[in-house]
Amino acid sequence: MRLLICIKQVPDSTTRVKVAPDGKAIVTDGVTWSISPYDEYAIELALEQKDTAPDTVVSVISVGGPRTKDALRQALAMGCDDATLITGEGVDALGPLGIANALKLAVDDLTPDLVLCGKQASDDDQGFIGPALAEALGWPHVGQITKLAPAAGGTEIFKETEGGHEVWKATGGVVVTVQKSPKEPRYPSLPGIMKAKKKEIPERPVAGVDDPVKLEIVKLEPPPARGGGKIFKDGDTKSHAAELAKLLRDEAKVL
Amino acid sequence: MKIWVIAEQKDGELRRVSKELAAKAATLGDVTVLRVTGERVSAAAAAAALAERATSDAPDLILAGATPTGRDVASRLAAKLKRAYLSECTDLSIDGGSLEVSRGMYAGKVRARIRAALPAVCSVRPNAFPLADGATEPAVTDIAAGAAPGLEFVRFEPTASSGGRVPLSEARVIVSGGRGLKGPESWSQVEALADVLGAALGASRAVTDAGWRPNEEQVGQTGKTVTPDLYIALGISGAIQHLAGMTSSKVIVAVNKDPDADIFKVADYGIVGDVFEFLPAFTDAVTQVKRGS
Repeated sequence: MRLLICIKQVPDSTTRVKVAPDGKAIVTDGVTWSISPYDEYAIELALEQKDTAPDTVVSVISVGGPRTKDALRQALAMGCDDATLITGEGVDALGPLGIANALKLAVDDLTPDLVLCGKQASDDDQGFIGPALAEALGWPHVGQITKLAPAAGGTEIFKETEGGHEVWKATGGVVVTVQKSPKEPRYPSLPGIMKAKKKEIPERPVAGVDDPVKLEIVKLEPPPARGGGKIFKDGDTKSHAAELAKLLRDEAKVL
Repeated sequence: MKIWVIAEQKDGELRRVSKELAAKAATLGDVTVLRVTGERVSAAAAAAALAERATSDAPDLILAGATPTGRDVASRLAAKLKRAYLSECTDLSIDGGSLEVSRGMYAGKVRARIRAALPAVCSVRPNAFPLADGATEPAVTDIAAGAAPGLEFVRFEPTASSGGRVPLSEARVIVSGGRGLKGPESWSQVEALADVLGAALGASRAVTDAGWRPNEEQVGQTGKTVTPDLYIALGISGAIQHLAGMTSSKVIVAVNKDPDADIFKVADYGIVGDVFEFLPAFTDAVTQVKRGS
């Protein structure tokens, strides 16, 4: 079985994101870049398949500029077998369907049985690439999954939804987008890191892909500042609780 | 302006978010509310049927609720139609041939206004356009799902603890617990409060990672971003990833014994004190207030 994981390099989740003065981008100076958290869960899910079936080949791919190789190396260090970077002039300006189409061409060449993406990247929070890649491939997709299990004639896919999990069975190629699962992504091992350093990361050109949709950022801003709330610091918690209930009804009008 | 709303049904009724979108769409243009019939239809099969109809109907804007199913279908349909897709919008307006939406980015740390050319597809957060009391039920057109080979629904595995509550993303009131609650056994008290409030249950990442509560209750980065009218944070210290997921709630209440906890910086009402003293007293107080005494 061949698995391919599409990953994105994003500001680390502990970053305090600052909007640039022009309101069109974020300040990237001093940002630590990481694999998007849901993509890490996707890597973990794929590596678990390899843990149980060692002949599984786990490949990883990303679309981006030169620093994206750090994210791919991180994935190799976690235990992925090989990595590919789709890059070239204009890569950062590529729209979502352009990215999906570029990935589609790579999937045609790499011939995985199953493709995993994070359910959304933690920068734009869109969640469009996975379904768009599936559409480009003519494959079905299942969003927000937390588990994969081999089953007779295919793979069972567990989709987290309201109140539980829907279990779907894919009998051919399928794209899944991965939700946080109970098992935390593994850390790279020291031998893993050494091996990853030596691996070649082949590049594929981004040029010439069909890219029909562009989004324009009108303005980015931090959420409205909060604070200056009524904080009861001293005294009896029980009487504060009673007062709070009245305030929520009469002042905040939410009860 | 032709607008489609892709409706979802739950327990035999149109979901609230579908009604919210139908009402909003009616203020923007001519609305068609479409429902793909059948239980647990795959996104590809639903999108195939909708795309076929879109070819003749040519809607300018397609809206779906930002639910697990709604997002899957809307994004797939946008890809099929080669149109812009904007996820989890909280506001939208139309200006000539383009659409402008508000939505969160960076897990809620940034608010963005994004413009795209029409036609476009959006998934919209529940509660983004609150439904007026007594709003009329929209007329719904049913369409049959298309074909999408290679994927079949097998079974549903319910989460043990989910019985009968409002989904987190749709809740007007959320009671959320953190490590300060000390263990899963404390949730009987949290649930008692949630029952009185008609609230959904939330949790911090520490709590879901420890297995005290199911993952689907996690609020914050790698969990859900929520915007209820009232968010009550119990024993939650307020890590940046948690704050990102709930800071756009209308009213935030925090209870924590640490006066320096970051959660107080975003709270409208805070009580520095013992959450176990607070919980039964507050549950009683809410019961009385709701009775009108």
